[in-house]
Amino acid sequence: MMRLFVLCLGLFTTLTCVLPVPEAAAQQAEETVCIQCHAGLEGSLGAPVQAWRGSVHDRNGISCHDCHGGDPTDFAMAMSPERGFVGVPEHAEIPEFCGKCHVGVLEDYQKSAHGQALEAGGAQCVTCHNSHAVEVAKLDLINRDSCTRCHDYGRAEKIKEILADTDARIKSLEGELERLSELGTNVDEQQGQLFSLRNRFHRAFHTVKIERIREQTGPVLEGLDKLREEIAAVESDLGQRKFWGSVAIALLVVAGILFFLIRRTYEEEEKP
Amino acid sequence: MSPLKALIDFFDVRLGVREIYQRELAGYLLPRRVNIWYTLGSVVLTLFIVQILTGILLLIYYVPDAEKAFQSVQYITDDVAFGWLFRMLHAVGANVIIIALLLHMLSVLFMAAYKGRRELTWLSGFILFNLALILCLTGYLLPWSQLSFWATTVATDVPGAIPVVGDLLVEFLRGGETVNNLTLGRFFALHVVGLPLVLLALIGFHLFCVKRRGISTPPFGEEYQQEELLPFFEHEEHPGGTPFFPNYVVKDAAVICFFLAFMLAIVFYAPGLFFPPSAFEPADPFVTPPGIKPEWYFLWAYQTLKIFPSEIIGLGVQIIFMTFLALLPFIDRGAERRPAKRPIFLTCFVLGILLFVGISIWGHYS
Repeated sequence: MMRLFVLCLGLFTTLTCVLPVPEAAAQQAEETVCIQCHAGLEGSLGAPVQAWRGSVHDRNGISCHDCHGGDPTDFAMAMSPERGFVGVPEHAEIPEFCGKCHVGVLEDYQKSAHGQALEAGGAQCVTCHNSHAVEVAKLDLINRDSCTRCHDYGRAEKIKEILADTDARIKSLEGELERLSELGTNVDEQQGQLFSLRNRFHRAFHTVKIERIREQTGPVLEGLDKLREEIAAVESDLGQRKFWGSVAIALLVVAGILFFLIRRTYEEEEKP
Repeated sequence: MSPLKALIDFFDVRLGVREIYQRELAGYLLPRRVNIWYTLGSVVLTLFIVQILTGILLLIYYVPDAEKAFQSVQYITDDVAFGWLFRMLHAVGANVIIIALLLHMLSVLFMAAYKGRRELTWLSGFILFNLALILCLTGYLLPWSQLSFWATTVATDVPGAIPVVGDLLVEFLRGGETVNNLTLGRFFALHVVGLPLVLLALIGFHLFCVKRRGISTPPFGEEYQQEELLPFFEHEEHPGGTPFFPNYVVKDAAVICFFLAFMLAIVFYAPGLFFPPSAFEPADPFVTPPGIKPEWYFLWAYQTLKIFPSEIIGLGVQIIFMTFLALLPFIDRGAERRPAKRPIFLTCFVLGILLFVGISIWGHYS
């Protein structure tokens, strides 16, 4: 009987009291065939995978096939044009290549001085954002070293100054929404609004025209102000919860102390 | 005559409630030196009641379907009046119960309260502890968040290390090769019906054992006497002891209030303590969140599996350890209960706690 009992208990503990190796989980999220193959290659064939890791695309789940097409599940057909594989674009094809997703930015870029000079070897997406190790759109991408590769820094610096305040406000709101999200507050709607405003703002960058940037930044700032009010309302709700929570905690602590004091009086009575 | 007295009289003439009160509450005597650690059983019971109540409220709106589960939890949190509070109380309460259960078991171990023919009390308590862990595990999947999905994926992967039947067990647990809608269905059924029924039955049995055998005397002070075990059943009486009601119940109530205050403090001031950001993202079977770790009470087991060269050895060590703990009253047969007179036990006890904490911290940072 005891043996049976020990056996049952052993099985029970096997099923319940043990846990897991997260690496096992990581293995289950299989990588695409593109990465499986190219990650092991040397030189220019393997370098894009290393560069892509940690990029803004990687962090957001954008993989090789999202830009280059092809079939990420089939080794044999991965690079088949039949499955939409487009390979490496030429210099002048890059804006259209990235613009498949970044539609608005492409539109503004094409009208800009950069876009107009594309055929003559002018700057395009990867000139500033890199290929594969794609950098998130940020103000620091406008800098003396980068811009003076092609032209004088004067106008770029002026544009950066104009953008700085709005950019700081967007970053601040991003941080606040992130913090609220980590607390479990549903701010999906506000994050969506901010995403949209940030995109409109980033579109403005690409015109590289000071007047146009000023003109487009106005409505973005109005939207940011409205968003800040919404966040303040959420914060106020959380503050109220915390206040009433504190009251409940205080009442429980006082009740606990009172019960202990009552117990003391009983202890006096119980003394022999 | 006051309405209350009239009501009591009504029941008394029909059910003899005054006699029950006298025999089971006011006349039920506990050892005189009964200490604060003895209140932890009541704390755990109260926390289980909180879990049942908040669980019922969550159940009204929760939808156990992979397509709708996350949205239903979001609806509870954002749109249902005080839904956020019920959800937080339920989730934080699960962690606080484990803390209270651990303290309760450690105090029983330290005072050797499992001795004196209390094997069944210990064993039912030990199974209750494991049942609480399974309840935590099954409840973890229900929000269908990134955290719950991947934590369940790795947890249900573990039995796969068992030779021969491992893969079958994994498929049985999941209802398929991977965690899916069927896993959610069976975990939901277990969490809200199957396990609570077993839990309630076991709590009843545990309390019956405690009451029937009698509360053990704390093994401290001059009043302590080594218990002589007779070859037949005997209820341990405590003549001249502390009446359970109201004298001792107020002490229970005080500690329960402090525990509830502690729980609310986490809910309102540190809600992120048990909720990493991946707990608020919908499950995505194609994206593994970075650095996913089990809950703090499983960290020791998680790290133990990593220490050994193969999972099956780690698994074996855990099975041996848990089986040893479950059968401790059958193994440790000495009559001595005073910790100071049991130096080997005391050393193992302290080292065991340090090992648990150390391995858990190691698991957290590994």
